[in-house]
Formats: sequence, C-alpha cells, structure tokens
Amino acid sequence: MSFNQDHLGIIQAKLSSGETASTCHEASLMQGCVCASRILALVEHEGEWALFIFISSRMPPEVFTDLAIERVIPIDNDFKCEIDAGEQSVDVYVNSRKLKLLFKMIPSIKTNNFVSEIMRSMEDLTKRRDPPPEFQWLHKYSGSSTSSRNKTDCESATTDITEDDASKEKMLDLDSPDIVVSRHSVAQGANPIAARENVIQHQMSLKENDYTYTQILRVFIGTWNVNGLPPTSSLTPWLASDMEPPDIYAVGFQELDLSKEAFLFNDTPREEEWRRSVIAALHPGANYKQVALVRLVGMMLILLVQEKHEKHVRNAAFETVGTGIMGKMGNKGGVAIRMEIHNTSMCFVNSHLAAHVEEFERRNQDYHDICSRLSFSKFSPPKVIDKHDQIYWLGDLNYRITEMEPRIVRDLISHNSLGALLECDQLNRQRSQKNVFSGYREGPITFKPTYKYDPGTDDWDSSEKNRAPAWCDRILWKGDGMDQKEYRSHPILRTSDHKPVSAMFESQVRVIDVVKYRRVHEEVLKKLDKLENEFLPQVTVDNTEIIFDVVRYLEAQSQELIIANTGQVPVQFGFIKKPDDSKFCKEWLNIDPAVSFIMPGEKCDVKLEVCVDKKSASKLNCGEDKLYDILVLHLEGGKDIFITVTGNYERSCFGSSIEALVHISVPVREISIGRLVELEKGEPPGGMEPYPIPKEIWFLVDHLYRHGLKKQNLFLLPGLNSELIAIRNWLDNGSSEPLPGSLHSIAEALLLLLESTAEPIVPFNLHSVCLGAASNYLQCKQIVMQELPEYRKNVFLYLCFFLQELLSHANENGLDAKTLATVFGGIFLRDPPRLSARGRGNLTAMDRKKASFVYHFLVNDLSDYVTSKVLHLGPTT
Amino acid sequence: MSVGPYNYSYIFKYIIIGDMGVGKSCLLHQFTEKKFMSDCPHTIGVEFGTRIIEVSGQKIKLQIWDTAGQERFRAVTRSYYRGAAGALMVYDITRRSTYNHLSSWLTDTRNLTNPSTVIFLIGNKCDLNAARDVTYEEAKQFADENGLMFVEASAKSGENVEEAFLETAKKIYQSIQDGRLDLNAAESGVQHKPSQPGGRNTLVNDQTASKDSCSC
Repeated sequence: MSFNQDHLGIIQAKLSSGETASTCHEASLMQGCVCASRILALVEHEGEWALFIFISSRMPPEVFTDLAIERVIPIDNDFKCEIDAGEQSVDVYVNSRKLKLLFKMIPSIKTNNFVSEIMRSMEDLTKRRDPPPEFQWLHKYSGSSTSSRNKTDCESATTDITEDDASKEKMLDLDSPDIVVSRHSVAQGANPIAARENVIQHQMSLKENDYTYTQILRVFIGTWNVNGLPPTSSLTPWLASDMEPPDIYAVGFQELDLSKEAFLFNDTPREEEWRRSVIAALHPGANYKQVALVRLVGMMLILLVQEKHEKHVRNAAFETVGTGIMGKMGNKGGVAIRMEIHNTSMCFVNSHLAAHVEEFERRNQDYHDICSRLSFSKFSPPKVIDKHDQIYWLGDLNYRITEMEPRIVRDLISHNSLGALLECDQLNRQRSQKNVFSGYREGPITFKPTYKYDPGTDDWDSSEKNRAPAWCDRILWKGDGMDQKEYRSHPILRTSDHKPVSAMFESQVRVIDVVKYRRVHEEVLKKLDKLENEFLPQVTVDNTEIIFDVVRYLEAQSQELIIANTGQVPVQFGFIKKPDDSKFCKEWLNIDPAVSFIMPGEKCDVKLEVCVDKKSASKLNCGEDKLYDILVLHLEGGKDIFITVTGNYERSCFGSSIEALVHISVPVREISIGRLVELEKGEPPGGMEPYPIPKEIWFLVDHLYRHGLKKQNLFLLPGLNSELIAIRNWLDNGSSEPLPGSLHSIAEALLLLLESTAEPIVPFNLHSVCLGAASNYLQCKQIVMQELPEYRKNVFLYLCFFLQELLSHANENGLDAKTLATVFGGIFLRDPPRLSARGRGNLTAMDRKKASFVYHFLVNDLSDYVTSKVLHLGPTT
Repeated sequence: MSVGPYNYSYIFKYIIIGDMGVGKSCLLHQFTEKKFMSDCPHTIGVEFGTRIIEVSGQKIKLQIWDTAGQERFRAVTRSYYRGAAGALMVYDITRRSTYNHLSSWLTDTRNLTNPSTVIFLIGNKCDLNAARDVTYEEAKQFADENGLMFVEASAKSGENVEEAFLETAKKIYQSIQDGRLDLNAAESGVQHKPSQPGGRNTLVNDQTASKDSCSC
C-alpha cells in the first residue's frame, strides 16, 4: 500500500470550495481492539483547522468517490493530540471533548511531518489573536443527511460531529457492530496482538468509571516570592490557616536566593532553611511525607502528602526549565513536580515569569516556553505538563496593573474597589485574549495586590520607583474535578516585598477499587481473546467435493463453488500451492478467481473449469496423471479448506503417442484402458503387425489429400471447436460415416493430434541438434534418417510428402513452402518443457531455424528416403 | 492511568492429528471456547484456533492447527507438521482402529517435525468408558515406550483437555529454558515475540516460523 501526498488531490476533490487540505496521511484507527484503515487529512478554512477522518473503499484511493468522510474534528481549545512514538508504531491519541481516538501510524518521516503539522495547527490556535474560531464551515459535515457529496458509499460511515456524545461513545464500544471497513487485519492474528497492551490500556481508560470511585483530596497550593531573604518568622499563618489538614501540600517559592553563587552555581543554603520552615509550619492535624523537592536557582517547589496517602503515590518526577538570561538561565522559568495519586495524575508548576511592567508579552512567551520545553523525561515517551489529569500552576507570574496611575491604584485598593483594578490586570487581559494560560481557570481575587510592599511592613513600596501595586502572585488550575475553596493572600507574613498567596482545592481523584479493577481487566482480556477467535475469518463452501462426470479432450466443463463469508470480518481467500507443486492446481484445471476478497455476509462464486488440452492430455492418457486434485483454499490469517476435484477422463487418440497408436488397429475407445497404458509404457505389443503410421493420421491426411489440395489457406485458418470434437469422436469411436467437419477443422485436428503427444515428432533430446543443423540439408537428412525413432520418422516423411503434394498445387491453394515450413517447424520441433518455460528471448531466431529445418524437406526430392516400407500417399489397404 | 503489562512473549505452534472422528476439532473447541460441539462436522481442511495461556508467569500464545483426519487428505496435511512445537496425537478409546493407526501418525510426526517437538498422546472420549475398546494400561505402555506424554481426556466433559494443552506448553517452555529447543531454528515452532505472519504463497512458507521474528 502506498499512500502519499499525491492523494491530496483526491482528498481536495472531496472538500468544498474554500477548504484546503494541507496534508494527509494513512493511519489505523483502533476501534476497541480492532484496527481499521483510515486516511487523515488536515483541512484549513479561513485560518480555522480541522482534522478530517476518511474511510476509503480502496487503498490507496483512486478517485474522490472512494472516500467517505467518517468524522470531522475541529481543532479548537478542546482538541488534544498526544503522541507515543514507539519502534513499531507511532500512536496518536486524539481527544476532543468526550471523544477519544487512537490512531496507529507506521514510524516514518512522513508520519513525523504529518503529526508536526497537526501540532502546528494547534499552535496556530493558541497564537490566534482573533475571537475563538466558530467552525461554522464544519456544520455541513455534521449529521448524516446533509453530510458529504457522495452519500451512497458512506451513509453508515458518517457520524455527527455535534455534541452527540452518545453516538461517539457507541462508536468506541468494544461490541460496536457498525465498524464499516476492513478489519481483516484483525484476522491476521498478530496485528491486534502486537498492539494488545495499548488496546488494553485504551479499553481500561474508557472503562475507568467501572472500577474507580471518587475520593476528594484537599490540595493546598502556596506561592511566595521571598525576595532573597531567609525565613524570619513561622510560616504557620500561611500554611496551616485552615481547620482541616490538607491531604497534599505544594509550596512554591521564588527569589529564594538572589546571590551570584545561587545564580551561577545553583547552590544555596536557603533551600534547606526554607524547606525546614515549611516542614515546621505544616498543619499539625496530620503527618506529612515529602514527595519531592525541586529548585532552579531561586525557584523552589516542595510537594508533600499526608503519610496515609504515601503508598498511593507513584511515578513522582520533577523537571526544571530556565527562561531567564539568554532564554535559558534559571533566574526565570519554571520548576515542576508530577505524580500519580491513586489513578489520577497531577502536575504542579511553580514559575517565575519575566519582570517589568511592560514585558507582558515576554511573560506570555515564558509561559509557552515552559509548556513546550518542560517534559518529564524519565517517562517514555516523556510526559508534558498538559498530559496530566490535574495541573496546578502557581508562582510569581509578574503580570501588573497597567494603564492606571499608581496613585489611583492605591486609592482604589484603599476603598476596596478591586473590580476596576482586576479589569486592568494584564494576566486577566491576556487570558481573555487567549494569549496565555489557555484552558486554565483562576478563582475570583478578593485579596489586595500582593506586590509591592516595603519589607517588614504592610505599606506599599515607598522607594523612588514607587511601583504600582500588582497581583504578581497567582494560582491557576486546569483539569476536571478540581474545586477551589479558598484563594487568598497572607499579609501577616512580612519578610518579603511580596505577600504569600495560597489556595485550597477540593480535588477529586479516581481511586481504584482493586476487586472491580481485576474484574474489568479480566473482562477486557477475555473479550480480546474471544474477539480474536471470533475475528478469525470464517467461510462456508457449498461443496468440498467437486465431481465432474465424463471429461473429454478439448471439451471444457465448469462447476461453481460458492464461498460464503459467514464470519464477522472481511475474508481474503486464495488457493495456495501444496509443497512440491508448482501451481495451486493441476494444469487441466482453471480457477477463477483464484484470489479474492469477501465482505461479511457476502458470497463469491468461484468457477472451476476442467479442460484437457494438448498440454495435459498425454499425461492423463498414459496414466501418469489422474483427474484428481486436492485444492487448498486458504483464508488469510485463518483456516484452510480442502476442495477435492475429481472426474473421469475419457481417453482419446489425442494425447496418445505415435508409438502406441501404430499398435492399435481399432478405434481407441474400443481397447481397454489397461491395454492403452501398457502400450504407452512401451510394453511389448502382441498380435497385430503395427501400422507404419497411426491410422488416425492417415485418415486425416487422406481426407485432406482427396478433398483439400486446392483449398486456400489450409493449416493457416483455425477450425471450429464443435467440429474438432466431432472429428475426435469419429476417430476415437470409429464410424461408417464419412469424416465430419470442414477442411480447416480437419487440418487443425491433424496439427492438434501431433501437438498433443508427450513428445513431438523430433524427440526432445534431438531438439538442439536439429536446430544446430538447420542450415545444412545433408545434416538434417542424416538426423532424420538415422536418429528419428522409426514410427516418428515415418510420420515425418509421410507428412512431408503430403506437404510437397500441397505445394504442387500452390497456384490453386496459394500456399508456399516457407509458410508451411514455419507452421510444421513449430510442431515437429516442439520446445522441450524446460525450454519453453524459460524466457524465450530469441524466439524468432529459434522459430526461423525450425522452419529452415523443415523447409529442406519440402523443397528437396524425397524419393530416395522411401525404403522397404510403403509410404505413399493415397488410398492403401 | 497505568495498567500492569499484559502481553505475551512466545507463540507456540501446535498441530492436532489423528484418525477421522476421534474428536480433534472438539478438543480444540473445548480448549478455546470451553464448550462441547455436539454435532461437529468432519474437518475438511485445517482449522485454526488461538488462545493465550500462562506458563511460569510467561504469557504464551498458542496457535493451534487442527487437521483433517481423512486418509485421502494425509498427503496434504503432512505439510502442516513443519514448524510445530507441539503435536497432540489423538485416538478414540472406543475405536481400536484409531489406536492401531497411531504408529503411522507417530512416524509422520517424527519424520516431519524436529526432535524437540513435544508429542502428547490423547485418548479421547474417556466419558464413554462403557464402550471402551482400548485400555488405559496398553495406551500408557505405548506412550512410555515411545517417550510420549499421555492422558485420557474427554472433549465432551472437558476432563483433562486443559491439562493436555497446558502440559504440552510447559514441556516446550522447559525445553526453551534448558536450551534444548533452539529458538533460532527456523522450524522450532516457537516465536519469541509477536510478529506479523504476513502472506504466504505455499503451505510450507507459513508453516515455518519466520526467522526474523526471533529476537532472542
């Protein structure tokens, strides 16, 4: 299968005007544990992007009508795309609202390009300054009635892109009956198995609700810019101000140490000082265990959980990203810790974004840099921030209040009119313009700005700079089941020019019910096992024993075999070779089609035609072969069925050797089969004096001699099959009637009789000798006289006499020696089987030699060849 | 969200052989579906079944080829022996003729498989004890003399069916552990990693475990 960007044109033809397919790729959609082939295309319309999923009736598609649009997913804020790149496949998880799809792609540069194009289109969205996209152009693709241009082949395939979650869930169901296209890959056994673990994970995540229950955990998030100062007072008012002890603490600091040493060597005694004071100030109502601590220069984050939760914490990891000087130093940037608690993944990010009032775009950029550069590398593939169920983002984000005099700001604060100020808050503005923290939420701010105070006081900055107050220190979150209960500052802590901020969340985590989990897991496994056997291809054939009654030379007969696909998957079937056989059936049998494809519930008629012709007649005649064959009908990825083909072959003079025929005085049908086989084996003949040439040849030639000397184009025009059969019957059965058929049919019967023998007139072992001697008449003559077996020499000379006779009437019949020499050259000097099987490169050169060999005997006087045996033309006794 | 790893590390190829009507297909069906097929038609060809089992903590996928027992297909079914890691040789305890033919089936198996192929003799239909025509003792003796594993089983009741398939797998797995079975041999009948079987043009090609799939 080759599918590439050339097919973009076909996809483009499927789209409406104004829509542009920018790139496309082939992928396997995992539906349950079933792999189905799809084509994905990224389509753009006036700056809005969408992912189109196509089903193709053939791979690769050839015209746009091959394609049906299965689904269209807008690339909006709810669109997520995650990639697991493995050695064997690249898994692309596409999430959009409740829709979860898993595509498997073959690792390649093309795949990489395609995936990065999707990522780029997602980035486009985040960079978008305009109002959020509305995707009106996609409405026409929703609903099956108005969906695509050619409904005929895709009605069932087209599904809503609207919020119809029920139908989406249905499509993902393991038992879904409406899987439309080829899932024969399942039948191959290995395909879904190789992906088995992925499939199980996918299935388990879809069934998460069946084996988990929700538990609420209290999550405390704190952030404080400590301005490089050591702890001077207890942190209890900040960290333990709530009645109930939190289950989780994530405490972040910025500007822990502003010294050069900390900056250059990332080493500071402050880390331990602050850590101790955090530990000392934790809620007294519970015992805590530190999960991780991470620090980059002045940014530090500590994560602690209650002791009782420790055993449910897994896969904890931390990472840092510097976005400061030169875009990478650690004076600015972010640190993060992630963990899984029960069945929920959490990520905590503490960031210190670029400073200065006017630098909000730098802050936006820092945020994007952290998002794109921070990934937990100990996982394979690395996990990025966004790949977590719950994200808590805290820190000194440094967004200020702009377009307002510091004096007015302070004034409004003193009158507690925070609303007007919040409207001028850069973070609120940037967020509403979707420039930063897309998808994150923040609780309502009811506390005074936390910056900038004179250290040790609650007074606003009195320095020369006289900075306007600002809500630099913030806490945002993203994810489901997160409920912020508190969002506040703690002005009583006066160590720094910032006030600490904290938030309390009641967050739902999914707790695994071990018993239920095992049960669901078992169910998924069993279902996969069952599906695997069910998805083996299954067919029934109406008949495994094909019996042909009487089969005669050159009389084709056929029977039909009906193969019905009774399984659940499309079946690719084919007749396959048995060991030591060169073909999947004997040469007298023709199977059409020998390879095909059947959809579930459909049937395929296979025509089995038996025809014994000049190639197969001699073997059947001499008993070397029988009309008996066992065909192996193989279902790809499944079982084999044996089809037995039998028939009774009626022996004929066609296919009998010259040597056998000269010993038979009666019509061939009148002697026993055993006798014929004996004669073919060269058993000593008994009784009769053999004829010099087979009587059948004599009958045919004699008829032509009497009636056809003046016939035009004799041996050049074909006879009629029905007449050939009548002639065969006349020769084989004997008759008092005159020989039937036209002269052309009789001439062809003669040629066929000569061609059907196991060996030609010139035995195979003399073939090359004769060709070598072809230019020299005397040599040719010597071979014929001394080397040819007796009866074949007789036939050879007899026919040459006859042909000379024909040529003596050339003025009437228009024949010439060269033409006849060419016709009979090919018959007298038939190629040995090995030779004819080989590539016949110098075919014409060989044919010319054969012709020139025979030519000598058509133009030279043959009277001295005739020895004691009477070999003259015309009626004999 | 994470789930404990579930995957298999080996594929074992089995063949089931024996006279017509001894219950080969029923044994396969009982093993894969845990059900008895009461009116099972004669197998005209080679049926195919699969199941994943566990041996010593290892997940193993059994790929089972159930062959036609009719004498006239013997020449064709011989081509399915190649590359079998396990051969289940079945007779019917109520029909002596099926027992008498065992030596011919055994000869074929020995000639067409490799020396490490595990051959397991199954006396099927042990639920029909009243109609017994072959004693347990003589079959046991035949098995011992020829170094075969042996049980009497019933595809109908399910008795010993699971055991026969599992014991065969255990023995094969043991051979791998002992190094007696060379996984790199083309015809070991064992593949060490799930792999794509791919298309095949002749019987022989497919019967041979694909060499490139072994990464051991």
